[in-house]
Amino acid sequence: MAKVAREMVERTGINVDELVELLISNASAELTTFYYYTILRVNLIGLEGEGIKEIAETARIEDRNHFEALVPRIYELGGKIPGNMNAFHDISACPPASLPENATDVKAILKVLVEAERCAVRGYTHICNLTAGKDHRTYDLALAILNEEVEHESWFSEFLGEGPSGHFMRRGETSPFVSKFLR
Amino acid sequence: MRVFTLQDLSRYNGRDGNLAYVAYRGLVYDVSGSYFFRGGRHWVRHNAGSDLSDEIDQAPHDESLLQRFPVVGSLTMVE
Ligand code: HEM
Repeated sequence: MAKVAREMVERTGINVDELVELLISNASAELTTFYYYTILRVNLIGLEGEGIKEIAETARIEDRNHFEALVPRIYELGGKIPGNMNAFHDISACPPASLPENATDVKAILKVLVEAERCAVRGYTHICNLTAGKDHRTYDLALAILNEEVEHESWFSEFLGEGPSGHFMRRGETSPFVSKFLR
Repeated sequence: MRVFTLQDLSRYNGRDGNLAYVAYRGLVYDVSGSYFFRGGRHWVRHNAGSDLSDEIDQAPHDESLLQRFPVVGSLTMVE
């Protein structure tokens, strides 16, 4: 634990145990989503599916990056992640997704994706609200993740026909916002 | 429609096999079926079995999400 770092956050009035629990449950949501994107990627086939495969792969890698960026902050603040994967999975902040019954139904797959991203956008907005002007490091991290989650939401929303996202696919790079936490 | 006091409501805390009910602006909703209220807790801080009307301001969503769940009664402030 980073003793003084935790103390600085406590002194702002933030309930650090509560904050750590939020970070852990969101880290779990990231890793379960990473798993889901992995099964999705193999099922995104055919003319329709191939068009989405690349962007799903970017979101997959970025969600894994979010998990990896969150873990050090959890430990700095004195928290820890569960000792086994089952327990970790069961505390996910957002419902762990599953492949639609008809795995070739690209629209159904996209709906699951956009729901997961929307849950994440709400969750990181909440963490930003809790930490703004108080816990600068957690805020910086949550904001970086939020920036990427908003882009994921807009990509999938565009594919669902909800309107243009105003974004282009990443060009070779991933996690333009979160990468500074991964060095 | 059943009328709940705060004490009646507190039994529906979603823990130890109890159903999870929450009150919002005078109505009681059964949120037992929600992943987001499992174990009677919602985003660490909000507990089933209580009146959450004053807590929605902290939420990154509005109250319309409650409409997904059945109303099972109303809340009275009379003990
Ligand atoms: C710190 C405050 C809160 C946070 C961070 C929070 C966060 C969330 C999030 C992220 C979702 C998922 C939405 C989605 O899937 O896009 C959600 C759903 C929901 N929240 Fe909250 N919430 C808070 C407070 C409240 C309060 C006070 C109430 C009740 C008055 C409430 C009732 C609900 C309901 C009914 C749902 C839908 C559940 C479902 O569909 O299974 N929330 N909340």
